[in-house]
Amino acid sequence: MDTTLPVYDSAALRTPIITELRNLWVYRGLIRLLVTRDLTTRYKRSVLGVWWTLLNPLLTTGVMWLVFGVVIGSRFGQTTEPYVVYLLSGVIMMTFFSQGFLATAAAITGAGGILTKVYVPAEVFAFATAISTAVNFLISFGALIIIQIWAGVGVPLTILLAPVPIILMLALIVGLGLTLAALAVYFYDILDLSRVLVQLVYYLTPVFWTLDIIPDRFHGLLRFNPLFSYLELFRDLAYRGIMPEAWVWLIPIGSSLVFLALGVWLFGRSWKTLVSQL
Amino acid sequence: MKGQVLIEATNVSVAYRMSHDRAGTFKEFTFQLLKRQVTTESFLAVDDVSFEVNRGETLALIGPNGAGKTTMMKVIARVLPPTEGRVVVKGVVAPMIALGAGFNSELNAIENIVLLGTLLGRDPLEMRGRVESICDWAGLTEFMDVPIRSYSSGMLARLGFGVVSDVEPDVIVVDEVLAVGDEAFQRRSFDRLQSLISGGTAVLLVSHALEKVEAMADRVIWMDKGKIRMEGGPDEVIAAYKASVPR
Repeated sequence: MDTTLPVYDSAALRTPIITELRNLWVYRGLIRLLVTRDLTTRYKRSVLGVWWTLLNPLLTTGVMWLVFGVVIGSRFGQTTEPYVVYLLSGVIMMTFFSQGFLATAAAITGAGGILTKVYVPAEVFAFATAISTAVNFLISFGALIIIQIWAGVGVPLTILLAPVPIILMLALIVGLGLTLAALAVYFYDILDLSRVLVQLVYYLTPVFWTLDIIPDRFHGLLRFNPLFSYLELFRDLAYRGIMPEAWVWLIPIGSSLVFLALGVWLFGRSWKTLVSQL
Repeated sequence: MKGQVLIEATNVSVAYRMSHDRAGTFKEFTFQLLKRQVTTESFLAVDDVSFEVNRGETLALIGPNGAGKTTMMKVIARVLPPTEGRVVVKGVVAPMIALGAGFNSELNAIENIVLLGTLLGRDPLEMRGRVESICDWAGLTEFMDVPIRSYSSGMLARLGFGVVSDVEPDVIVVDEVLAVGDEAFQRRSFDRLQSLISGGTAVLLVSHALEKVEAMADRVIWMDKGKIRMEGGPDEVIAAYKASVPR
């Protein structure tokens, strides 16, 4: 039996990405457990329970629809498609992004009580949190499909490809979350800063406004915001039934891979300092 | 396989960054970076420590507060990477650094047993099968479906010890935890440790309870200010340590 003992060698080299992938596989049982725990304990003391996951984006959309669709009127709502569908699809994608990104980064500091007493690779907590926001997203995606049918847009066949932008978004969230967690070791303020930046990005992305209120010459500039193309990709596939152009695919694929690699690399470099400061 | 080395620490040093010199904000950090003064000042909590623990052996670390004992435990438990030197630990490690770390107070005992067991690297399904015997050992069978936020600290300690000792570890790292709970619990957890040790488990123990150290340890290391001050049999090291403490 002794030859098969697991061995911890502090001098063993950590191969970036390979080590993380192996950890995720070894700890898959824990990830599954953390995700279900997160989903079941979040609303444990509330009356409506898990229904809040469904209600939250619907209420946000309701408020925005009232403000931008009804009160301010056509200034924002110049769409050939039903504004409610346009709005809800944007809201759930951006909520997925902002909550997922911030929660993933916070997951590592939040697990400090465990990480300083029991050995668990820290990225496992980040990944589990990202997955549970993805599950929440899927629930609200269900709400979107119902609204689509109700608003008469229907469900196009391209929806079968909608998991692609969702998975790319998950990769982006994990990458940015790990980057943020790694940077927060050196300057804690970045957590507060990124909360503000996420707000800014929310307004710079066409969630509740449409492209045609922006002068044409700025449209090229808008493409520098990667989230714009995640949203376009998702909307095209989820309800417009359009096969998106190449550039719409390229930016999400490229940016998610770049940020995922950056996050894993930065995290791998700083995890030693990170655990000693929890 | 008695005599096999399970814990091997070679020239281990651990440096903590001094927090008062840490760049707190982005602005400060940028200025320090520009002035090429990003803080490197650090504090050596463990300074060039080497030791080995064999299968079935118990090694105790004693010494005053701030000697680096707990830091050393955390290095062996893999929680803290050494700054210098190397640590090799063979086998399944059960850390008893704080019983109940990893528990979620909203969940009940059953769910927490599965959670903590999984955190320790076991399969969730396998842990589900262990729930009954763990609750039975901890004397918590009638409370097993109650959220543990209503547990007493003694109950939490029993549950924690029950789970951690259930994983059939090769190496146990114990930090003072045997000092919690009532006399009956202390005796039962002591017995359980003893049976694990006779089954070949290596134990690294940190304690201020010197009588307990004397009863359990095969060897004792006296640490002071991060360094090994003395190493040897329990009697001589404990006597020397006691003599050094001013009355």
